Amino acid sequence: MTIPQMNPVLSVRDLATSFFSQRGEVQAVRGVSFDVFPGEVLGIVGESGSGKSITAMSILRLLKASGRIKSGSVHFDGQDLTALDEADLRDIRGNRIGMIFQDPMTSLNPTLTVGEQVIETILRHRKATRAEARARAVELFELVRIPSAAERLKSYPHEFSGGMRQRVMIAIALACDPKLLIADEPTTALDVTIQRQILGLLKDLQSRLGMAIILITHDLGVIAEVTDRIVVMYGGLVMETGPVRDLFARPMHPYTRGLLASVPDLRDETHRRLTPIPGSPPDMAHPPTGCPFTPRCPHAMRQCQAALPPIFGTGHGARCWLHHPDAPSSFTSSSGGEVSAQRRVRGPSS
Amino acid sequence: MPAYILQRLGMMLLTLWAIVTLTFFLMHAVPGGPFVSERMLAPEIEAALNAKYGLDQPIWVQYLAYLRGIITFDLGPSFKYPGISVNTMIADGLPVTLQTGLLAVICVIALGIPLGIIAALNRNRWPDTTVMLLATIGVAIPSYVIATVTLYIFALRLGWVPTFGLDDWRGYILPVFALSGFWVSFVARLTRSSLLETFEQDYMTTARAKGLRPGQVLFKHGLRNSLVPVVTVLGPVVANLITGSFVIEQIFALPGIGRQFVLSITNRDYTAIMGITIFYAAALMVMILIVDLLYAVLDPRIKLTSATA
Repeated sequence: MTIPQMNPVLSVRDLATSFFSQRGEVQAVRGVSFDVFPGEVLGIVGESGSGKSITAMSILRLLKASGRIKSGSVHFDGQDLTALDEADLRDIRGNRIGMIFQDPMTSLNPTLTVGEQVIETILRHRKATRAEARARAVELFELVRIPSAAERLKSYPHEFSGGMRQRVMIAIALACDPKLLIADEPTTALDVTIQRQILGLLKDLQSRLGMAIILITHDLGVIAEVTDRIVVMYGGLVMETGPVRDLFARPMHPYTRGLLASVPDLRDETHRRLTPIPGSPPDMAHPPTGCPFTPRCPHAMRQCQAALPPIFGTGHGARCWLHHPDAPSSFTSSSGGEVSAQRRVRGPSS
Repeated sequence: MPAYILQRLGMMLLTLWAIVTLTFFLMHAVPGGPFVSERMLAPEIEAALNAKYGLDQPIWVQYLAYLRGIITFDLGPSFKYPGISVNTMIADGLPVTLQTGLLAVICVIALGIPLGIIAALNRNRWPDTTVMLLATIGVAIPSYVIATVTLYIFALRLGWVPTFGLDDWRGYILPVFALSGFWVSFVARLTRSSLLETFEQDYMTTARAKGLRPGQVLFKHGLRNSLVPVVTVLGPVVANLITGSFVIEQIFALPGIGRQFVLSITNRDYTAIMGITIFYAAALMVMILIVDLLYAVLDPRIKLTSATA
């Protein structure tokens, strides 16, 4: 997988978002940069509290009232979304950038028919009659494979299963042929089998419609199958970024290695134990000055606490002092065999 | 749906019967009677009166006779005002009470809900704090204080409105204000908190993520979901307002049924107490039924089905 040599659809630079309350500032996102290229699926992975969802919400400025983008820029189609006025941004939301959310049970309005919720999006952004919008809604339902599409338009969300509701959400997000789809944990609230179907659908739609997707998840298993590139977030920062195969084969950051070690692999017949990462994420009301992963990192050095490392490496890079040219070489030199390094962490076979 | 309404009406009749029975026996359990007063009546006269109104009969005979009357919509004669039936008492008082009551209901809906919306949209800014301050005062100050103070200022001092009666449209202003003040404040607070809760819902974020305009997000997606608790309280409020308030009717000298109700209790006017109680209970139950039907309109997840279906 090579990085496409073209202009990115979306370019996020040094994005910082904080939430302000009476108890002070919570720095949810602390300077995040990444690009999304046309037709690619970019995965953003991280634990809850890593800032991945807030990053997504910051792109379309859908933050709750207490949240504010402090600095940075989000360029989309030659415009900086952080500087756009609200009315112009509304013309982009749901139109050129679609978004789907984690919980399809609560993301649809319970008092409106699903058809209406698709149709109103079309009518908002397109010059169409109600009948045309309705026809388009049927088309969209067929596209996301909702059986007997025309009749189902009249149903209410509570008459659908979770997976079907998420299909409705996808139909809404795709209503106006967006160039970019932001999917915030789209499968987290679903059964495993339904997860697969929805991911397969997203991947299929992406290749048919040629849009770019940002797929946000805490589940590396989800991301491996469908993404082209991955951004790993922790403590409101990008910790590692690279093409998916590279990143899985040679994770550069101890945090990424920890994440990989905590994913069950069904093909692994050695019955290795899953290794959770000990400790808990940093308190973003008082983020550490150094690397936020230091307290949980098996390779932590004095330097890690003292200063925040930059991202070392291009294409595939990591925010870790171990990759500094002067760093002790034990970690980096073994990086060629990281998959086996990860597999070495085995418990007694049962 | 028709089956559901029929079933509910059946339940209402049953409830009414229970209310009638309970009120009837409680009322008769209280010592004294309609013809007991400071000036002793001659025993023969009292006996004659009791015989005329059937009060000398065993209580269960009186009860059955009363039930028979109710079935034919006859609430009986007033014991205190000879020659006047309870039906007439209600028919006389109702228009006055209904007029002021309905105007108060309109105020509650037309002021309470918009004020709540304004407050919610401007959370923690001056429009919100102003509305909430007024609403807190409105909830805290009893209606009779509002009534007497406004009566003193606007009628007595400034002479802008008449001190009593409803001969002039200006006569309605103070009674309606005093009647609705509490409920306008209450509904404003409820609408505000309900809307603020709705704003936190995921589907509101979805609505914004679709690029909908703020008006669409608020009215189409927000308000409808927030109105369920408001409609819940509006039912009893409407029943309450259209059946009158004794205090307000007394202060503004309005000849409504609220006033008659309380007078009938001090008078031990058995049939009047019964009649007005039944009337109030019926009004309340009809309003609750309307509220339940409105739920289904507001929220499609609520299905109205009869228990046997």
